[in-house]
Amino acid sequence: MEEVHAMIGRVTRCSIRGFVGAVRLPEPDLPSFGAFCKAEAQQGHSQVIGLIYDISIEDDEFARQMATAESLSPEQFSDHQYNRQVPVEFSALAIGYQRDDQFHYNLPPQPPLTLAPIRALTPAERMAFTQRLDFIPLILSAPNLPVDDLLTAALRQAAQDRSGGERRRFLLQAGRECARLLDRDLSRLHVVVRGLAE
Amino acid sequence: MIERSELEDILGPRVDEAPLGIVVGGSLSSGLQIKIDPRFSMEKLAVGRYVVIRGRQTSRRFFGIVTDIALDATNPDLVRRPPDLSEDFVLEVYSSEVAIGTLNVSLMLMLDEEQSEPRPVKTIPSHFSPTYEASAQDVECVFGEEDETHFYVGTPLDMEQVQVNIDLARFVERSSGVFGKSGTGKSFITRTVLTGIIKSGLAATLIFDMHNDYGWAVKDETGREFKGLRQLFPDGRVSVVTLDEDTSRARGSKIDRVLKIGYEQIEPEDVEMLSGLLGLSDVQTGALYYLRRTLGPSWIAKLLEIEKADEELQNLIESGRIVAGTLGAIQRKFEFFHRMGFLVPGRGDDAVEDIFLRLSNGTNVVLEFGNYGNTMAAYILVANYLTRRIHGRYVRQKNLASGGKADEPKPLVIVIEEAHKFLDPKIASHTIFGVIARELRKYNVTLLIVDQRPSGIDDEVMSQIGTRVTCLLDNEADIRAVFSGVSGASTLREVLARLDTRQQALILGHAVPMPVVIRTRDYDQSFYAAIGVTDESNLDDRAKMGIDSLYGE
Repeated sequence: MEEVHAMIGRVTRCSIRGFVGAVRLPEPDLPSFGAFCKAEAQQGHSQVIGLIYDISIEDDEFARQMATAESLSPEQFSDHQYNRQVPVEFSALAIGYQRDDQFHYNLPPQPPLTLAPIRALTPAERMAFTQRLDFIPLILSAPNLPVDDLLTAALRQAAQDRSGGERRRFLLQAGRECARLLDRDLSRLHVVVRGLAE
Repeated sequence: MIERSELEDILGPRVDEAPLGIVVGGSLSSGLQIKIDPRFSMEKLAVGRYVVIRGRQTSRRFFGIVTDIALDATNPDLVRRPPDLSEDFVLEVYSSEVAIGTLNVSLMLMLDEEQSEPRPVKTIPSHFSPTYEASAQDVECVFGEEDETHFYVGTPLDMEQVQVNIDLARFVERSSGVFGKSGTGKSFITRTVLTGIIKSGLAATLIFDMHNDYGWAVKDETGREFKGLRQLFPDGRVSVVTLDEDTSRARGSKIDRVLKIGYEQIEPEDVEMLSGLLGLSDVQTGALYYLRRTLGPSWIAKLLEIEKADEELQNLIESGRIVAGTLGAIQRKFEFFHRMGFLVPGRGDDAVEDIFLRLSNGTNVVLEFGNYGNTMAAYILVANYLTRRIHGRYVRQKNLASGGKADEPKPLVIVIEEAHKFLDPKIASHTIFGVIARELRKYNVTLLIVDQRPSGIDDEVMSQIGTRVTCLLDNEADIRAVFSGVSGASTLREVLARLDTRQQALILGHAVPMPVVIRTRDYDQSFYAAIGVTDESNLDDRAKMGIDSLYGE
């Protein structure tokens, strides 16, 4: 049975380095920090693989006013949280792309277009994509992002798809790759590797 | 991707295809640096082991020996900030990428695809060439098989199925040395090598057996008895000559002759080497030549007042050529000769000629010193006395042979113990042993020196030593001396300093294609059997069978 791709939003802004998606209402688990997602690009010829590094909700005048209210009824509270006018935004870092059933571990040739659907990677896709760890340098080279936490969260998520001995092997392999790339900064390396420990 | 080499068809498939590591740096002179693959346990490696490096750019294989093992880190801060021991995962990750192990490998030989014989190494493998632990086939390919001129002396460390065979023809071609602290098995390995030489018949040996270790049975410190060379070769290939008949007989040693040296046969040159031990000053040593010239062949007897010569001695003093004090001192110091029972008044016998003839016939001679072995002066006197004369005869015969008037003399190996007493830098240049060591095989005579203080041996002599068999040495000067004159061997220092105290030796030089650390061959019944010695009880059985078959039961 084919796994269902959960749609988590639509592209609102994008560049080669990543894209921003918007959703009216987030699911309990999606989008989440460190989740793998993909968005269609090149008129459906490729899928940009992204890693969600930020989820934000902009304020609006109405919310600000309501926040000052003495008390809110449950109805008012639910109405404001679920019947939203301002969408929840999430930002994803491009860490590769898929074209002709092949994963490529570099920046995509084109970004997705606006309103392109953003879907979460299925566990099988995540597993296939993370067979190689060549996406780690793209995460580490991203400027002004919480890359260490993002890396840990992404790798832990990828590890969840594996069981028992394979999970440990994957985490060790990932730890070694991080060590190879971060050996100049032992403090950072220590935080990342400790974050991978089960 | 490394292509499969055709050499694998010759050498056989590898036991383990995973490389031990890869070449990351180094040079031909200082050795290569190999980064150990984290999958290998560096705690299981050891200096002295062999590795094979497959060149990435050619099909060449390089043979090397591990000379050092080191811990390294990609970040120097790791030394100051190691991870906590409780963090297993962190430790595991770090110990494969950040904390790394390296090997220092000294390259020895290389094997080209189209050649079957390894050659001395003249280049190095390129960066990232994979490095493997040498397999038994690799090592066998280097050391060849045992045959008439290759003798099995031991096995490489951790490769008990592989034989290290030394090339005896090359071993006797140049002077060789066996070094090691006392109690490390020098005598055993020397006896093993001598057995090989005698068995091969490539050279005759003259062994100055100071401690009665070679001729007849010898006991180790646990009281176990081992056969001597005369017992291993009961067919007459080994003669035992003794200086101390009583001790030899008491030990049950079978002896072929007793050596007596006549006072008249001793020349000042024989005594000169003893000047240090007897305490003869330069003036006194110089006076010996004058005394010999003026007093004639019986000069020692006259000085010892065995022969009456008061008047002659008085005349010497009165002529002013020698002062009374000097003469008196020489006479006092010569009292030593009285204590040497093998020195007899008169002309002595033809012992030198007899020994020379035995040696020229290919018979090996063990000269047992008996109790005189405890007297260094006696050992030096006799070794020097015999060697000078036998060398002289070899020189004569070799010269005659060059003129086509005689046969080429049989190569001779002279075995001396405590060699530093003969080859001390102060005297080596003018003693017969120094001469032999330096002239190489010019006159078919070479030395096998057995010593525990190689640092006491003249550098020039050490540099002429072709093959060095070295048991454990821990004195820095001795280690340095063993490696003097051997290019690139200094990297083997660590190997040498870490040998076991027993049954391990490093062999390097002329007789082996590359330096090798061996566990020396057991000197026991299996060794005797390999040499072809039958146990005496079996001999009795065979004798009985012979009698039965002759005369009926």
